[in-house]
Amino acid sequence: METKPVVELKNLSKTIGSKKIIDDLSLSLYPGQITGFLGPNGAGKTTTIRMMVGLMKISGGDVIIDGKSLKDDFEEGLSKVGVIVENPEMYKYMSGYKNLVHFARMHKGVTKERINEIVNQVGLQNRIKEKVSTYSLGMRQRLGLAQALLHRPKFLILDEPTNGLDPAGIREFRNYLRVIAENEGVSVFVSSHMLSEIELMCDRIAIIQNGKLVDIRDVAGADESHYYIEAFPTASAHDLLVAEGFTVEAFKEGFIINAEKTRIPGIIQQMTAQEMQVFTVQSHRKTLEDQFLEMTGGGQIAESHTK
Amino acid sequence: MLNLIQNEWMKLWSKKGTWLMTGLLILAVIGMMGLAKWIDTMESGGSQDWKTNVKQELTYTNESLEGPNLPADMRENFEEDKKVLEYRLEHSIAPLEGSSREKMIMNSSTIGSFVVLLTVIVAAGIVAVEFSQGTIKMLLSRPIKRWKILTSKFVTVNLFGIMLMLLGFAISILAAYLLFPSSGGKELVWNGSEVVTVSVWGKGLYMLLLSFGNVFVTSTFAFMVGSVFRSNGLAIGLSLFIYFTGSTVVMLLSKYEIAKYIVFTHMDLTQYATGYQLIEGITMPFSLAVLAVYIIIFLVISYIVFGKRDVTA
Repeated sequence: METKPVVELKNLSKTIGSKKIIDDLSLSLYPGQITGFLGPNGAGKTTTIRMMVGLMKISGGDVIIDGKSLKDDFEEGLSKVGVIVENPEMYKYMSGYKNLVHFARMHKGVTKERINEIVNQVGLQNRIKEKVSTYSLGMRQRLGLAQALLHRPKFLILDEPTNGLDPAGIREFRNYLRVIAENEGVSVFVSSHMLSEIELMCDRIAIIQNGKLVDIRDVAGADESHYYIEAFPTASAHDLLVAEGFTVEAFKEGFIINAEKTRIPGIIQQMTAQEMQVFTVQSHRKTLEDQFLEMTGGGQIAESHTK
Repeated sequence: MLNLIQNEWMKLWSKKGTWLMTGLLILAVIGMMGLAKWIDTMESGGSQDWKTNVKQELTYTNESLEGPNLPADMRENFEEDKKVLEYRLEHSIAPLEGSSREKMIMNSSTIGSFVVLLTVIVAAGIVAVEFSQGTIKMLLSRPIKRWKILTSKFVTVNLFGIMLMLLGFAISILAAYLLFPSSGGKELVWNGSEVVTVSVWGKGLYMLLLSFGNVFVTSTFAFMVGSVFRSNGLAIGLSLFIYFTGSTVVMLLSKYEIAKYIVFTHMDLTQYATGYQLIEGITMPFSLAVLAVYIIIFLVISYIVFGKRDVTA
């Protein structure tokens, strides 16, 4: 689509013992885009992410970040990356501010002004001098975000970032990511098992199963017009819809068809003309969960808040 | 690298335990000096003239030298003692009294044994605790190679050890000045060609340096166990166990040639200053070489394991 990718995974593989955990994974991530990373438990999401940030060694292939290979030039490659891996574990015995100073020292060119700026951005200015052990989970998440953004990364990797946040916190977090992606052109890569979350947050979704990339698709494109129709007698309703040229799919006691809005009144008219009893005609939105289950063949999902 | 060491130093001193340990060290040194003072006041009285003592000692040394089957190195020691004692009588230079300020300052090697315990605790935890608290993933997902991070931690452990040694020394000097009177005497030694006066400060610092060898080796061992097994407790336990049982192991093995090559034989470098060597036939350069080999092995293991480890949940 637009411009050059910020991050490219090239045939990334991870072998532990004789088992291939990640198998030949290739994926490009673009600036300004939020890409969701979905998969059943044990599919290899966390392993992939840990390889991308240097926590695990790459067995095969490479990760290219802003043109720099992690294998050849680890320090340059990772200097453009901000990371939150699961719960951000900070040094609890130090103040939030000292934690940020600590991480700032590990990057080039992070000034005191920048630290203060980011503290204000995540709204921690009143508590930043207090010890992290006194923080609530939400505040720790904010601090986690602050440390990930300190050095103005071009690429932000988040592994299960909303774990343990309350709905308001999740919403705030989501909006914040949007702002960063759009205003600063940061490419964001979010892994999650919370499908509804990913659906609301992301432009694009990559789905992984058994260490292999199953599908990449745009979220907007996934929202086609489906309608649920329930009419009696069922058999003649089915025949009519097929005759009209729709792809018909049985669902509950009726059918789901893929149709444009303008065709719906005509169908209802025909049905009543043929003296069918029409009980329900409603637009049906396939949730990401349905699609996900379709694609992964019903792989176990740990937790779902879709409905 | 300086930034990383600064980070480790900041983390170290943000922990209450570090301040507690430093406080304990100060108390221990003061306590030790206080005890020495107390014992001294209990035993006071009956102090003989120093010349009588020296004469007695000289007679004893002469008798020993006449013994028929005296080992060569013992004979050498007695010869040197004899020269020093004769020099004292000749020039009327009194020896240092046991509980004098100077003696206390020179006796700085005991500080080392406290510092070992405290430095081992820091060395054992500096890597292991990052793992157990989960902060390791924040630390390693940075644009910095792992060996640099490990190096900063190792340097910090040793800076901490050095700082404690110097602090302990400073406190003991202070206590020595407050509690003990200066002795009129001098410490003399035979340097191979003549009898010379030993500088109190030089000897004090030299003993401190020698006892740091023990701190360095034991804490490097703890550092290795901590970074390989990621267990704080295991590292402390194992290191202190080795520290306390080491000399026993040497005793048991002292008949065999292998005793020369085990690390415990060489950890206590002060044996070369006090003359109480654990086994015969070893020299300071040999000890330093053996220790260097062990240190390198410990560090190579630490770096390889830490560098290759996959950080999982």
